[in-house]
Amino acid sequence: MRSRLAIPALLALLVLAFLASLAFGELRLSFGQVLGALTGGGDDIARTVVRDFRLPRALVGLAVGAALGASGVVMQAFFRNPLASPGLLGVSSGGALGAVAVLALGPMLGFAAAAMWALPLASVVGAFAATGAVLMLAQRGAGTERLLLSGVALNALLGAGTSFLLTTTAGHFEVNAQILFWLMGGLESRSWEHVWMGVPAILVACLLLLPLGRAMDLLSLGEQSAQSLGVDVRRLRRQLIVLSTILTALATAVAGIVGFVGLVVPHVLRLAFGPDHRRLLPYSMLGGATFVLACDLITRTFPLGLRLGVVTSLIGGPFFLWLLRRAR
Amino acid sequence: MIPALHASALAVPGRLEAVSVDLGPGELVALVGPNGAGKSTLIQALAGLLPAHGIVRWNGQSLSGIAMAERGRGLAWVGQEAQFEFAFPVREVVAQGRYAWGDDPSGVAEALTELDLAHLAARPVTRLSGGERHRVGLARALATAAPIQLWDEPVAQLDVRHALEVMRLARRLVDAGGTVLVSLHDLRAAYRFDRVLVLDQGRLVGNGGPHDVLTAALIREVFRVKATFVESLVPELPEDG
Repeated sequence: MRSRLAIPALLALLVLAFLASLAFGELRLSFGQVLGALTGGGDDIARTVVRDFRLPRALVGLAVGAALGASGVVMQAFFRNPLASPGLLGVSSGGALGAVAVLALGPMLGFAAAAMWALPLASVVGAFAATGAVLMLAQRGAGTERLLLSGVALNALLGAGTSFLLTTTAGHFEVNAQILFWLMGGLESRSWEHVWMGVPAILVACLLLLPLGRAMDLLSLGEQSAQSLGVDVRRLRRQLIVLSTILTALATAVAGIVGFVGLVVPHVLRLAFGPDHRRLLPYSMLGGATFVLACDLITRTFPLGLRLGVVTSLIGGPFFLWLLRRAR
Repeated sequence: MIPALHASALAVPGRLEAVSVDLGPGELVALVGPNGAGKSTLIQALAGLLPAHGIVRWNGQSLSGIAMAERGRGLAWVGQEAQFEFAFPVREVVAQGRYAWGDDPSGVAEALTELDLAHLAARPVTRLSGGERHRVGLARALATAAPIQLWDEPVAQLDVRHALEVMRLARRLVDAGGTVLVSLHDLRAAYRFDRVLVLDQGRLVGNGGPHDVLTAALIREVFRVKATFVESLVPELPEDG
């Protein structure tokens, strides 16, 4: 595929998915009504629906998708493995456990888990604590293999913690439903508060990643060779871990666990446009955002109780398999 | 004269014991020793890719005082493993040798031609044979234009003609004032070098001209084989290239 057309094509798809996110839903609006509502015209109902409900939801979805796409690229370059994903070092399961702990234990301890900031905050704390623990367990400067195995071990531990809380709250239907909501990810009732919590920091982290693309090319073909060619590998690895953790932690904090985006999006774009990270990073941000918005549209269009995290995997999985077969 | 590469009491616990050596500019040096003798460790320690005790200087400058990018321009290292996980085209991988030069592409095309890779330039590195991948690693090192080149078993997987071409390339770099250190297992090939270093169990047990160092006694001692000097078939590149 011609890579010169990639950015315009991916941007066009993203704009389309974004506008569709604003137009589709229980109240079907035309693109004209959407544009009217965005620019302050149109009727009151359309304006409220678009500006207070659909716009923040679409912005959160866009940022979550971009964050997970970029984070996936980073982890794959970091571990020199195209199968690495954003959650590899326990970031998302740590984030989930943090939120689930607040949901499950909050009522017992007598504070309102419903407080707008409580869940995202607990999630971010959990995510950073998990990554910090993996880095400490693997010890400073240890090889990627050790880091990977520590991540696997911690992921199992955090998953067990979440499952434990889930079963202990099994009698409380309301709490249980909220926990499940969190574990399967979703953009329902995302408000402007969620936008402010997640989107600016995700944007900054994405912008900070872009200049690292060239060094990531070298890192992805070997740590020692990258260092011998003049890359400050220790510094680069630190930057990548921090930025990737921020991206995944914030995405989890505002939308719960959304699986498969970080794996499938970079993979597809790498097959289409090659592994050059200077291009793969922006492509995966755009592609991830489009993919999450499209999947969210599906959850809204087919009201089967489908969750975003379920749809991303439900679509991503078979598509990925088809692609792998075709690429042979 | 300031040595291009200087090491004193260079040590890596359990792998390398207090190796001291000076390599001059314009010197083609072979590094031999049995498996596990510490050849790769010594090369990596000299390249600054491994935490090590002791002193390493490049052109008289202490390694710790050389910035990363400057290191990339001063010394090139080619590892024994040539495994690539991502499908970069051959040309792109060779062009990575120009990273420390701000990705200025000069010398990339020449490096591809030199290692007989021009016809493979657009092919993904994941679809190359083992020998071809090693040549890509060498071409990338050549593209750095670094005056010090450390190659860890560069010819072990190459066919006879490509191996001879790599040797000719090394000689040409040295004639132009460079320093090339090559580890190898073929003791016969080591006779073509200006100097031979012999490592055994992490210690430097031989350092000098090939005929002085690679004696039947030392070969017996270090490699535990009997060496006899006989006439045999010696492949050479033809005069016309």
